[in-house]
Amino acid sequence: MTSIVRTATPEKPRAKRSGLSLPQTFTIAWRAILANPMRSVLTALGVIIGVGAVVALTSLGGGATGSITSSLSDLGTNLLTVSSGGGRNAGPPGLVRTGVKQTITMGDVEAIAAIAGIEGIAPTMQKSLQSKFASENSGVTVVGTTPEYETVRNSPVETGAWFTESDMLGRKRVAIIGYQVGQDLFGNASPLEQKIKLGNQNFTIIGVMPDKGASGFSSPNSQVFIPLSTYQQRITSELSATGEQTVNSVSVQGSSKEGLTEVQTKITELLAQRHKIEDANEYDFSVQNQADLLKSLNQITAILQVFLGGVAGISLLVGGIGIMNIMLVSVTERTKEIGIRKALGAKPKDILTQFLVEAIVLSVGGGFLGILSGLSLAYGVGSLLNITPIVTASSIVLAFSFSAVVGVFFGYYPASRAAKLDPVDSLRYE
Amino acid sequence: MTILRLSDISKTYKMGDLDFQALKGVNLEIDAGEMVALMGPSGSGKTTLMQIIGLLDRASSGSYWLRGRDITTLSENERSEARNSEIGFVFQAFHLLSRQSILENVEVPLMYAGFTAKERRERAFAMLEKVGLADKWRNLPTQISGGQKQRVAVARALTMTPAILLADEPTGNLDSRTSIEIMALFQELNDEGTTVIIVTHEPDIGDHCKRVVRLRDGLNESDRLNPNQHRAIAVGMNAPNASAALRGAAL
Ligand SMILES: Nc1ncnc2c1ncn2[C@@H]1O[C@H](COP(=O)(O)OP(=O)(O)O)[C@@H](O)[C@H]1O
Ligand SMILES: [Mg+2]
Repeated sequence: MTSIVRTATPEKPRAKRSGLSLPQTFTIAWRAILANPMRSVLTALGVIIGVGAVVALTSLGGGATGSITSSLSDLGTNLLTVSSGGGRNAGPPGLVRTGVKQTITMGDVEAIAAIAGIEGIAPTMQKSLQSKFASENSGVTVVGTTPEYETVRNSPVETGAWFTESDMLGRKRVAIIGYQVGQDLFGNASPLEQKIKLGNQNFTIIGVMPDKGASGFSSPNSQVFIPLSTYQQRITSELSATGEQTVNSVSVQGSSKEGLTEVQTKITELLAQRHKIEDANEYDFSVQNQADLLKSLNQITAILQVFLGGVAGISLLVGGIGIMNIMLVSVTERTKEIGIRKALGAKPKDILTQFLVEAIVLSVGGGFLGILSGLSLAYGVGSLLNITPIVTASSIVLAFSFSAVVGVFFGYYPASRAAKLDPVDSLRYE
Repeated sequence: MTILRLSDISKTYKMGDLDFQALKGVNLEIDAGEMVALMGPSGSGKTTLMQIIGLLDRASSGSYWLRGRDITTLSENERSEARNSEIGFVFQAFHLLSRQSILENVEVPLMYAGFTAKERRERAFAMLEKVGLADKWRNLPTQISGGQKQRVAVARALTMTPAILLADEPTGNLDSRTSIEIMALFQELNDEGTTVIIVTHEPDIGDHCKRVVRLRDGLNESDRLNPNQHRAIAVGMNAPNASAALRGAAL
């Protein structure tokens, strides 16, 4: 036996660094996730939906606010809007309000026009109708108004001309069409002098508005302007309790910015007197200026943001609990693997990071998928509603970091359970 | 040179308010290069002792010196490090990581030791060559036979060049022909200088070791040298090991 040729005791290998490196931990975690892709996606679903909803809602909300704000400033300068219904019912001009009794009469309009400090006044009525030319159709908002609308609402035509006082007096059937209406009905051909149908009435096009950009729910590009008198005769009219013609709203341009509040007060007093209402809470009309509108818009935005924050918080909580739940199951299922790894030299810290990194990869991966689905949702819904979503880098970064925090927070408990497992018990686990 | 010294080791398992003393003061001293069979009837405490030697578990009392170092005072992290570098485990149920390839399984101890990917790959591949499974390196554990799994486990146990190779019933799940192959592998490794401790209740496996330590009811029963250690001759083994085994047998 002594003559056996013995090889020298093999050299002990020496590592340059000690312990598991982070990239290796990532590889282990990634493979555990890929081992069961369906389950991993379902685990991260809470985070995916939460982050997706927040990204979609913030970018759509931002887009809508942006478009409303920009259309408000496009409306004209020093603008006041008088409309039917109490202050609480009043919304931004351009939004069709239903269910509000029309209370502003033509007599009111004339009385307002007589107030000092007013540069111009444009009463409007509006209605959604179908427009037709040959075989082409386009859904439009027909607006009946006066020639002063051009200056009061800062709306010059691009080609042709606005209708005139004599068109008003003659109740002419002439129309100025928005950019999109022209595109829909005539393509690249000139719409001027063409006859279109609004509802069942024929109108001659005398002007075309410039492209005002797609902005929100009621695009100015889909408007068609006709003389108010023609509107009341041919489209629709509504009489007040006293039998007078009414209008939906009145745009009033003040001569100066400084005098605007005073004009607003005067109009309010005048209408209160004319409508014989003393209690301000009972007013059946409202007088708003742009500043008010912007203020209430900002209030809505602020409420929306608090609401979104709540949605984000709750959905990330739910998503985090989902991850913690599955990670706990996963630790139990992989008890034997943990035992084997410990027998081979894994430290508690190595096992802890392995499961923690797995939870983080799941939730950050969920956050990534959530951002992708949120963005597609925002652009999908945005194109339907004609809103360009505004995606800020900060919201993306926030979504990412939140999902990472969720991963750390909810992954820590299962991971520390795994790290504390006894190697003997784990190896015996079936 | 003494590689391992256990003195008066006892182990009490607590099950609720019931205590069970599995080891009642075991003494054992093993020199470098030995090949020891740890035998005894079922329930005599072999696995318990093995887990204490392998630092998977702590003795309730007694002292344990490994390569001259007092093990009882080690922290949890130091025990992990010692398991990683001083101990190589081979289990009855193989205990390979089922999702990892064979090569990756052999790499695991190297990974926890902090070797780079390239170093791991080279070293693990060399180990697979040693056990004659280099051509299977891509396979998953489910794609190879029981005997081959046990060889992978041996390769994995050896990859850090441990002080002791600990095998608990390594042939328990194998047929007799494959068992002999695995014993041939252990003998070859022992010939190369590796200290091997094999827990077994099969007399035939004990006959293949130089020394047989017997336990009964948690106490030493006997400790004998085997005057005529059987040499395992593996039939149909892969080239390098087969030749080594045959060389050993011929002498
Ligand atoms: N974790 C444990 N808890 C309680 N009793 C145990 C535990 N492990 C082993 N035992 C008991 O200790 C004794 C020795 O077990 P073990 O060391 O596995 O024996 P062997 O490997 O020699 O068959 C047995 O009676 C067994 O039931
Ligand atoms: Mg046993």
